[in-house]
Amino acid sequence: MALSTHTTTTGFLLPSIHSAPPFFTQQPNPTTQSIASEQWIRLILSYARHRRLFTLRVEDAETAGNDWDEVLRNERINRRVLPSYLSAIIASMAAKNVAAYEPPKQNRSALLYWRLPEEWAEVLHEWAISTGQLNTILTFYDITDPPIESPLTNIPLPLLRKAITILAKTNRAQLIGVADGEGVRFFAGSK
Amino acid sequence: MALYRYTRPVDGTIPVQALLYNDEELLASQEGVGVYNGLQKSPAHQSGTVHVTTHRLFYIDRKRTRNSFALDLGYVTQTEYYAGLFKSSPKVTLHLASSATSSTSNPSSSFNPSTSSTWECDVCAYRNPPGLSPAAARICGLCGVPRGSVPSSSSASSTPPSAPSPLSAATITMHHDPEEGIPCPACTFLNHPSLRTCEICGGSLPRPARRRQHSTAASKSAPSSRPGSLYNSDLDADDDEDGEEDGEEEGGGRGEGGEVGMIKISFRKGGDKPFYNVLKRSLKGKGWEIKGYTSRTQTGNSSEPERNTIGRSGISGILRTVETSAQGRESNMKDALSDLEALMVKAGDMVRLAAELNERLTAMSSSAAGTVSSAYSAPGRTGLPEPEEATFIRSSLSQLGLQMTNAPVTLDMMKDERKWYEGLARELAGVLQGSNDGRGKEAAGMMKHRGIIALDEVWGGWNRARGVALIPPQTFLLTLPLLPAHTSPPINQRTFASGLSVLHTPPYTAAAFASRLSGLITLSGPMTTMGISEEERLTVALAGEMVAAVETDGGVCRDDAGCFITGGGVGFGGGEVRWWLNVFSGYVWDGQE
Repeated sequence: MALSTHTTTTGFLLPSIHSAPPFFTQQPNPTTQSIASEQWIRLILSYARHRRLFTLRVEDAETAGNDWDEVLRNERINRRVLPSYLSAIIASMAAKNVAAYEPPKQNRSALLYWRLPEEWAEVLHEWAISTGQLNTILTFYDITDPPIESPLTNIPLPLLRKAITILAKTNRAQLIGVADGEGVRFFAGSK
Repeated sequence: MALYRYTRPVDGTIPVQALLYNDEELLASQEGVGVYNGLQKSPAHQSGTVHVTTHRLFYIDRKRTRNSFALDLGYVTQTEYYAGLFKSSPKVTLHLASSATSSTSNPSSSFNPSTSSTWECDVCAYRNPPGLSPAAARICGLCGVPRGSVPSSSSASSTPPSAPSPLSAATITMHHDPEEGIPCPACTFLNHPSLRTCEICGGSLPRPARRRQHSTAASKSAPSSRPGSLYNSDLDADDDEDGEEDGEEEGGGRGEGGEVGMIKISFRKGGDKPFYNVLKRSLKGKGWEIKGYTSRTQTGNSSEPERNTIGRSGISGILRTVETSAQGRESNMKDALSDLEALMVKAGDMVRLAAELNERLTAMSSSAAGTVSSAYSAPGRTGLPEPEEATFIRSSLSQLGLQMTNAPVTLDMMKDERKWYEGLARELAGVLQGSNDGRGKEAAGMMKHRGIIALDEVWGGWNRARGVALIPPQTFLLTLPLLPAHTSPPINQRTFASGLSVLHTPPYTAAAFASRLSGLITLSGPMTTMGISEEERLTVALAGEMVAAVETDGGVCRDDAGCFITGGGVGFGGGEVRWWLNVFSGYVWDGQE
């Protein structure tokens, strides 16, 4: 019964509740279940942040051998999250606006907002300023795969587009159509 | 008197079992009894043991074994039972058939085989063994032909008992020294006196004329049975030897020779009831008739005993038995049905009477209401009280189950109902918790060792305890709310989410069970429903219901075996839910931020 935290091979500190077998079972009692999913969401988001993972699929619970193994399975207590339970967790994340189904209109896979789009927008703008790329046109590829690693490396395009849209609302960025895709131009930011 | 006319002395020194015929069975015994000869006590038979068999009634005197006697149950026409009052002991009266002596008028006409010796059937030459009851001994055990039905020239010389003279000696058994037997002229083996050939070498035995007279009497063992119809001559023989003791009683007996006799058995040391039951059963069974002859049929048509006997044996005998039993059954059924019909007629009368009464009452009250409501209109008819008699009659009718459809349920009746429910609740409390009042602990109660019990079981158990006037489920449910007031500790009803209703003692309230369950899990780790049911001594289903109730309150949470990575589980049954304390409540995040 004495539950303890555990550090995974990737250096992530799992909470003690991850060692409790009931954590992996969907609880019929709504009060209990709300607490459980709260902990799950927190665990998933912090792990995603730790591993810089952006998507979570229901399939991740079905088979072993993917990025989410350390969270969705606990070999030490012989428990795993059932796909149905993971699907329910994702649904509750989408409802709490900490994830969004991506692509939309399905519920098998979701984009995780371990930073909200507004936060990403700020990150993106700061990155543009810090690298001196204001007023120049950048392709999405330049942002997601810059020569120097940035917080935005590998950011999924839908999330990037959302962040740019938010910046555009405050006139700090402009979405431009270019010949081979889309581009963006950042501005200094004026209210 | 009756005692001496119907009974036959037996040797009281040997156990009763040894006095029985081969086809006779000892059914019951009772010691400490006295015998009344007619209405008077028989002084010679005041302390002994009475045994009832399928054929006979034995009285074995405790001190003076010479006074022991046996009575053929075939003589008994009627029995009476007297339960006893104050100092008077319970008694069983046996009325004896008056016709029993009639057959003695012509002893020579009926054939009276002694049962104490073997005899050879004239037809099939089967050697019939001794020791059967007189009725059974009359016919051949193999072919069913009555003995002596075929006149045999050699019978007189070959079968000693066929001569009537030794029969008189058959009853004097106890006064004779045991016969030493007949020495075989060839091998000198001392043979049983009733044997005609030597048991060892097979040579024929000499039959001395003097011995022959007593050869049958010498056998003291079981088959010393009575050749029933020759009783008077037996008595004479007995009197001759035993006269100095029973002289005056016997003289009295002679005096009222012709009338119906009776014998009373007084049970000084109890045991009367079971004995009487056994006696009745034995009389009903008519064990002495089974093989054919009965003393009664014999006296009825003593002129043609042979025909009767033939009819009773073989296939025709079986057919006749079946016929007789079918007839008997039919007549019994008819009797029962006529009783039922009479009852139904009476019930119809009752219902009609009730209906009439009710109508008259309704008419009376409505007319009364009409006159009163014309006098003052405001309160209306509802406030009118019915006459007390009317309500009383109606409630009595409803209690009798004769409630009419148009009869209103009055307040009076309601009062009675409430009282009734109160009474029911009290009774149910007794059934559940045991009735300790009165005669000590006779009923343990259904909930003595169990704190929780399902309603259906309670209902079934209660009705089983009642036996009659069973309680319908509706009434049962109405009784339950009153139950806590009559029980200590109070027994309450509880209904689970699934709709299952139970009765439970305070330890099984939701709160008490939840705290006990959490203690249990803390102590012995996560548990399955099965484990909990074992621990709590509940059925699995009931334990499941109770744990589910605790889960709904957030006391426990589940760990489903379906979430195992490998197999159904490690060490415990797969697919099962193990219950944990609620690990989520009060959890503070201690993982990576």
